[in-house]
Amino acid sequence: MGLREYLLKRLVHSVFVMLFVVTVVFAAVRSIPGDPARLMLGGDVDTATLEALRAELGLNQPLYIQYFRWLRRLLTGDLGESIRTGEPVLGSIVQVAGPTLSIAALGMVIALVIAIPTGIISAVKRYEIEDYLSTTIAFFGISMPAFWIGIVLVLVIGVNVESIPTFGYTPIDEGISPWFRSILLPSFAVGFPYGGILMRMMRSSMLEVLNEDYMRTARAKGLSSNLVLFKHGLQNALIPVVTLAGIFLAVVLGGVVAVEIVFGIRGLGRLLIGSINRRDFPLIQGTVLLIAFVFVLANIVVDLLYTMINPRIKYGGGD
Amino acid sequence: MTDPLLDVRGLTTSFETGQGRLTAVDDITFQIEEGEVFGVVGESGSGKSVTALSVMRLLDDAGTVEADEVRFKGTDLLSVSESEMRSIRGGEISMIFQDPMTSLNPVMTIGEQIAEVVRHHGDVGERTGFWSEMRRKYVTGTSEGSRSWQRAVELLETVGIPEPEKRATEYPHQLSGGMRQRVVIAQALAGDPSLIIADEPTTALDVSIEAQILNEILELSEEFGISVLLITHDLGVVRETCDRVAVMYASEFMETGHVNDIFEDPHHPYTEGLLASIPRIADEREWLSVIEGTVPDLIDKPSGCPFRDRCDYAFELCDRPLVEYEIEGSALETHTVRCHRENEHVEVDDSGHVESVPDEAVAALERRIEAESARDADGGVSPTADASARADGGSRPSPAADAENGGDHGEY
Repeated sequence: MGLREYLLKRLVHSVFVMLFVVTVVFAAVRSIPGDPARLMLGGDVDTATLEALRAELGLNQPLYIQYFRWLRRLLTGDLGESIRTGEPVLGSIVQVAGPTLSIAALGMVIALVIAIPTGIISAVKRYEIEDYLSTTIAFFGISMPAFWIGIVLVLVIGVNVESIPTFGYTPIDEGISPWFRSILLPSFAVGFPYGGILMRMMRSSMLEVLNEDYMRTARAKGLSSNLVLFKHGLQNALIPVVTLAGIFLAVVLGGVVAVEIVFGIRGLGRLLIGSINRRDFPLIQGTVLLIAFVFVLANIVVDLLYTMINPRIKYGGGD
Repeated sequence: MTDPLLDVRGLTTSFETGQGRLTAVDDITFQIEEGEVFGVVGESGSGKSVTALSVMRLLDDAGTVEADEVRFKGTDLLSVSESEMRSIRGGEISMIFQDPMTSLNPVMTIGEQIAEVVRHHGDVGERTGFWSEMRRKYVTGTSEGSRSWQRAVELLETVGIPEPEKRATEYPHQLSGGMRQRVVIAQALAGDPSLIIADEPTTALDVSIEAQILNEILELSEEFGISVLLITHDLGVVRETCDRVAVMYASEFMETGHVNDIFEDPHHPYTEGLLASIPRIADEREWLSVIEGTVPDLIDKPSGCPFRDRCDYAFELCDRPLVEYEIEGSALETHTVRCHRENEHVEVDDSGHVESVPDEAVAALERRIEAESARDADGGVSPTADASARADGGSRPSPAADAENGGDHGEY
């Protein structure tokens, strides 16, 4: 199977995954107590007004009708309108997606840059001070939720380092440096737990690889220990890490939602939480759909990477 | 006689474990001549592989290797720097490991796994620094026009792999077990070695291709004048392939000699037991012959013969430290045995059982042991060097000569 075919197959799979996700979300948001119409109108309203609004919003229809109606619009690329503001959902999402995706991407980069080298060092220096130090830090990363790390960062770095803002987001078109500084702390906050997980995986994977016969073969060939480690070991050790890196991406995406609140950034997370509070069903569905889309897309990229670094796997298996 | 290619004296390797000190290799001595195939045969856990890894200095920090001498072409392998050792590993001495599925790197092409040996040990003028190698591995790939790659393809052809150009670009999982072991052989030849250490090279393979692979190793080593240290548990393989053989049991060499002497005229009860346990087609017995009992615990191993608890011929001297006895009348090569039955004063009946142990036997043994410990004390060699001393089965032990030699040079 060629690359193109493989990608096509994966994309078709992803459509079904996302369809499943939106169905679950559709059902979930409607099963939580609270009526968007009542929330919109406030306290004392008569039943007639309420019913009129419900009819206007289409909320008086049976659930399956609402579901299929929404699904049909979705197929044409229309995510519907917010029932609160009447603005198109897609527009609202695009407006705030920038900060979220920036933070998630930088968070991943920070996590990988820290986790892979420390994981390797930790494995090579097993049971030595370097190992204890990095596993302890990783343990903190895994144990502390992103928003808590965010708060600590604000208190420690934000207060002491003036050039790093602790509040708000600067779009990238106002300059790379201000943009970077505005997302640095939140990215670190979401990257740290993810990095902790990746580091532990890198460590155990590398420990396993160090015991492999081919590593002994490489040493028996007279290669230097660095070459043995990085030429013969690294790629093998990365194989399981890459797979899990895609799955654990959920940690980053989940982290961003909470971290945006801590840093006062108007991103997808705030949009999502706001829309849940207002029972703004189309907006909730649209936002979750986008997050699911990012997750699925990232996992396709991960799988492609995986086939690149593991010659034993060909697209679509069969080997 | 010229100096042997590899001269190992009093090699002892031990590991510190939670339960105590584990002696994996206990004071072994052997020499390998140029062009010779030397076999080490023994059951699993007897220390055969650790012997090889000790010589190559490939044990990690857990193992302690001590020896009076491990001399290869005049170089003391235990005292050279790590970087000199690296130029010997894969170059002068290369290794073939047991399982070709796990001993080849699954994410590297076969061609590159051979070519890197050529680059590091041959004279092809290609850069072998860390960053050059990393760029080759992760960015550019190995150039198929490079001399090292072309040499790798040639080597694949040499070891009998069809379509070597195509195979060189493939990964180990795309080849069968026998082909993979051929690749490992090509890899071992790539550095133009003088010695190949083959550690159970056919154990993981189907019986049907075992002979092919063994022949490949032997023919090529003969063609290129390479000595082979063949480690195996298979007596049949030893008989077919080796010039000389050492029988290893519980981390010690029990009997060493020419393969014909060992098979036709074994002196050590363990060797006899091993030979008796080979099933024979003409055999009338219903049951296979086995050696009763189990291998002794190698942790905090007591002195004396490690085989005495399983030995039918055990007698009162067996818990004394072992010394080496030379068997007279072996026409081919020196034949040595570490068993006190060979003590000239011990009287043995026709069935091999000890009849009586006169006082002279005990006295002679004590003199030998004393002489060896005295020699160790002033020679500055390790206290367990008795293996290198010589005690002829017939003649009087000569402590003075031993002391001068500081070990025995002409033993083989």
